[in-house]
Amino acid sequence: MLPTYVYLMSAFTLVFIGLYCVSAKRNMIRMLFGVEILLNAANLCFIAFSSRWLPYVDALGHAVVIMSIIIGGCVIAVGLTMVLNAYRHYKTLDVRELRRLRW
Amino acid sequence: MFPPTLLVLMAGAVAASFFGLLDERVGSRSKEVFSSIILAVALYTLYNLYTTVDGGVVLFTVGVGPPLAACFEVDALSVFIAVCTVFLALLCTVYSARYMEHDTRLGEYYSLLLFMTAGMVGVAFAGDLFTLFVFWELMCISSYVLVAFRKERWAPVEAGFKYLIMSAIGATMILFGMAFLYGMTGTLNFARMSEVLSTVEPGIWGLMAFAALFVGFGIKAAVVPMHTWLPDAHPEAPSPISAMLSGMVIETGLYGFTRLLYVVFIPNSALMDGGLATFKVTVGFFAAITMTVANIMALLQKDIKRLLAYSSIAQMGYMLIGVAAATELGLRGCFLHVLNHSLMKGLAFLAAGAIIHQLGTRNLDEMKGVGRRMPVTMIVLTISVLGLGGVPGTAGFVSKFILFASAVGAGMPILTVLGVLNSAFSMAYYLPMLRTLATTPTGELKVREAPASMLVPMCVMAALIIFIGVYPAPAVRFAHMASQALTTNLSTYVEAIVKAMFG
Repeated sequence: MLPTYVYLMSAFTLVFIGLYCVSAKRNMIRMLFGVEILLNAANLCFIAFSSRWLPYVDALGHAVVIMSIIIGGCVIAVGLTMVLNAYRHYKTLDVRELRRLRW
Repeated sequence: MFPPTLLVLMAGAVAASFFGLLDERVGSRSKEVFSSIILAVALYTLYNLYTTVDGGVVLFTVGVGPPLAACFEVDALSVFIAVCTVFLALLCTVYSARYMEHDTRLGEYYSLLLFMTAGMVGVAFAGDLFTLFVFWELMCISSYVLVAFRKERWAPVEAGFKYLIMSAIGATMILFGMAFLYGMTGTLNFARMSEVLSTVEPGIWGLMAFAALFVGFGIKAAVVPMHTWLPDAHPEAPSPISAMLSGMVIETGLYGFTRLLYVVFIPNSALMDGGLATFKVTVGFFAAITMTVANIMALLQKDIKRLLAYSSIAQMGYMLIGVAAATELGLRGCFLHVLNHSLMKGLAFLAAGAIIHQLGTRNLDEMKGVGRRMPVTMIVLTISVLGLGGVPGTAGFVSKFILFASAVGAGMPILTVLGVLNSAFSMAYYLPMLRTLATTPTGELKVREAPASMLVPMCVMAALIIFIGVYPAPAVRFAHMASQALTTNLSTYVEAIVKAMFG
């Protein structure tokens, strides 16, 4: 089996990809992709750590990951509904058009 | 089994949507009545829990035995947070009956409101990070939908999307922090983690877990560099939801962070460089910038709900002072301020909502003289705003006094100075707001007083604010019990859980 740090390095790479995607992309659906990538990076961390403590793979880590995948699906579903509604109002998916609210 | 409060709330949330369907067919108003009854029953079960807990811990496990089972550990602090949540939700539900009367899809609205309450109660009761995360997301997802509830207008959708993206990033950061803690200890149970961490070699992982969890919970709690979703999401939500969001949802973020900090990190502060001072200085720094920046930004607002939203961020800064002090007194002030803020800010948003409901605008300049036509709303709004400013005789004074005093005792007098200055400074936007509402109206102003079912919850809250301000002993005792659960009773908490679950 590969050592844990290999998985952790991959997870951190995914974090940077995800953060870049959320902050730099203009398409609302791609921003949701970014959130999903971040979520999967965290899931990867859990899987990597779950084989670290016991002689067998710890089921707790896997239970958390399965649950977080389900929850992530729900969040993305709500996000896509909002994208759909935003599209109805603005006729575009460009997030720069969504700047009518002040800071 | 689940704690009875959670069972009642979740079953009620599912049933409320069916009552909504029934109402659409028949035209009755059963869902409002039903939701209020469910919340009242939940409050009663909480009272039962309060008498059973009595300074100790009550344990609920779901599923097979530990460590795989989801577990709920209810101590005085959990009950305190849950009581604040359910009470505020009850008042907001009663208020919603008239406020939301012109909206459609109300079955979903009450169902989501109950699910959001269940999520917050679940976070307060959670005994391990897994359970906390599941209920955290239940709360988050319901609140996304509720913020964007009036989807036929553009602003709520836009605010909801911004809120969703930021809050979802926060949730993944919490998941990262969980993963690091899990990697260090091999468990997610709070008590067990606290015990195992004392045998772990110091390293960078503890600090990384702390940073990830601080960012994750900080986004929800609107700590300043991560607050940008709040001034958009809170004003655009329907007013009862704004009251819930400002009153309890952001405090749930603070609760999650405080619980982890005091159970897991501070007892094992030898793990980090600089030990306890690292936590105190970090949290104190964020407390200072949170209240200062938010107060300055609030001064620039013309929209009454946006002003109140910025004021919520400032109040979060005051609460962080108590967390930074890391003493029993500081936590007592912090939790008392959570209770008081849920009443004061909840009332302020409800009163602002009543004005918006009757007048149809949110712009302060167009509200000149509304207070003359809506005297009861004006009086309760004045009480809540004076409380938020910390005027003696209101609830806000008591908790702010304890908070600022605790910072001196913890050797951080700079936080006291900043807190008092900010508190005085905040009057610079509260008082002009009141003056605008109370001046003589310029033209013909056709507004009537809000309906009685909206006035009753507001009057109850106003009475409680005055009551806590004049006779603070019961509330302070309740907050004292909650803070003791994290300080003096912490070792008994850890021992009780570890013995009960891990043998």
